[in-house]
Amino acid sequence: MAEKDKRISAGIAAATCGLLGAAAPSMAPAQESAPTWDIDSAVLYYGESDERVQDASLAIDARRDFGDDRSLDLALHLDTLTGASPSGAALADVPQTFTSPSGRATYTTPAGEVPLDDTFHDTRVAVDAGWSQPFARLYKFNVGLSGSTEFDYQHFGVNLGLSRDFDRRNTTLSAAVAYAQDTIKPVGGLPIPLATMPDAVDEDEQAPNRMGSSDSKNVLDILLGVTQVLGRHSLLRVNYSYSDSSGYLTDPYKLLSVVDPVTGELVARTPTPGSDGPRGIYRFEGRPDSRRRQGLYAEFRQDFSGKVLQLGYRYSTDDWEVDSHTLEARLRLPIGSSNYLEPHLRYYQQTAASFYRYSLVDGDPLPQFATADARLGEFDATTIGLKFGHKTVDGNEWSARLEMYRQSGVLPTAQLIGSQLDNARLPDFDAVILQVGYRFKY
Amino acid sequence: MKKIFSAIAGAIVLGTSAGCTHLGVQPWEREVLAREDMQPDSNALDTAFDDHIYFSKEGTSGGRGFGGGGCGCN
Repeated sequence: MAEKDKRISAGIAAATCGLLGAAAPSMAPAQESAPTWDIDSAVLYYGESDERVQDASLAIDARRDFGDDRSLDLALHLDTLTGASPSGAALADVPQTFTSPSGRATYTTPAGEVPLDDTFHDTRVAVDAGWSQPFARLYKFNVGLSGSTEFDYQHFGVNLGLSRDFDRRNTTLSAAVAYAQDTIKPVGGLPIPLATMPDAVDEDEQAPNRMGSSDSKNVLDILLGVTQVLGRHSLLRVNYSYSDSSGYLTDPYKLLSVVDPVTGELVARTPTPGSDGPRGIYRFEGRPDSRRRQGLYAEFRQDFSGKVLQLGYRYSTDDWEVDSHTLEARLRLPIGSSNYLEPHLRYYQQTAASFYRYSLVDGDPLPQFATADARLGEFDATTIGLKFGHKTVDGNEWSARLEMYRQSGVLPTAQLIGSQLDNARLPDFDAVILQVGYRFKY
Repeated sequence: MKKIFSAIAGAIVLGTSAGCTHLGVQPWEREVLAREDMQPDSNALDTAFDDHIYFSKEGTSGGRGFGGGGCGCN
C-alpha cells in the first residue's frame, strides 16, 4: 500500500511539474486567439511536526465564460496523505501495544509518547462541476455536482443556489442548499461503538467486535447570505449557515484508553495465549448519529488606495456543544504594478464536545457516546502566513504562500485522575503549508 | 441560538435598509469594487485548500460556503 502511495505521489508530482512548467510557454499562442478558459492551478504541501500527517495536493480549477454572465466551472483536486495520526489513546508510562485498524496486526507506542497510528495513508480524488447563469433581470442561479473517492470513503453531492440583486446591485441576497451522501467503508470493518479492542486475528478470520463493512452519512447544508456594498471602497458579506448531518458520524479509527479509577493508569490486559494483542484495555469511540450546526460568518473588505484589507469572523455552534470562534485577517500590499505581498493571520478557538473524554474509567457505567479525538476537545489554533504574487505581462499570475499552523489543546483537568494529573498530554502539533500556484488563460 | 437570530435580524435590517440610507454606490462609482482583489472569491483556490485542511483538523467547519467537506478525514 505504501509503495502504491509512493507511485501515486510521484505521478502527481510529475503531472504537476508538467502542468506548471508547460503552462508558461504555451501562453503566447493562447493570447493571440480569444481566451476561453481561466485556469487556476496549484500544488500544496502540508506537513505536520513529529512525522505526523504529510499531504501533497494538486488542484486545478477551470472556468469557461460563455458571456452574458454564464459560466461553467470544473475542478479536480488530488490529495495523497501519509504519516501518523493520534489514535485517541492516552499517553502511558509503559509501552502500549494496539491492534491495527485492519484487526490483523499490532503496533507499539513507546512509553511516555502520545499514541499515534502510523498505518494511516490515503489518496483522494475529488471532482466538482458547476453551472451559473442569470435567469431573469437581477436573478442568478447556479447548480453543481461534487464527488470524491478515497480508499475507505466515497462522497457524492449536489448543490443549488439562487441570488437576487437589489438597490442598483448594491445589495445581493442569496440562498443555497447542498445535499451530500457519503459512504464509509473502514479498513477492517466498522467497529462496534465502545466495544473493546480485540487481539489481532489471522488473514482468513473475521476481526471481532465489528458490525458490518460499511455505513453511510447524509449532510444537508443551507446557506443564506447578504452582500452589501458599503461605499466605493468597501463591502460586507454576512452568511448564516445551517448544517444537518445524520448517519455514521463516528471516526472508526479512534480509541479511548480505559484507566484505573484511583491511579489513572491504563488497565492491564493479557492477550489470549498464542495471539498478539493489546496489553491494555482500549475501547473504540462512539459518536451520536446526528449533528446540527449553525454558523454566522461575516467578511469585510476595504480598499485603502490599492491596499486591500480583508477581515473575517465566524461563529459556529452545534448540538454536540462544540462552539467555535474564528478570526481572520488578510492585507494585500501591492509592490509596483505587477507584484503583491499578502500577510495572513487566523485565530481559532473551540469548546469540547459534550461527550469528549480524555479516557474512560474502569468500573464506571459506559457512557452512551464517547470520543478522545482531540479535534472534538477544547483547543485553540493560530495560523500565520505570507503570500507573494506576481503578474506576468500576459496577465497570468504566479503565487507562492507559506503558512505555519499551531494547534494547542486545553487539558480537561476535571476529568483527570491520579497520575494523569502529572503526565496527561494532548496531541498538539505544528504544521507548515506551502503552496505554489499559477493562474492563466487557455 | 438567540444570539444567532439577533445577528441574522441585524444582517437583514442592514441589507433591507440599504436603499434608504447612504450605503451603496452609483454604477459609475464601481471602479475599485470591480477590481479582482475586491471580489469575495478572489482567493478561491487558497480558501478551498484552507477549508479542506481546517475541516480535517478542527471540530467545526463551513460558514463561508459549503467548502471543505466530502472527506473521510473527520
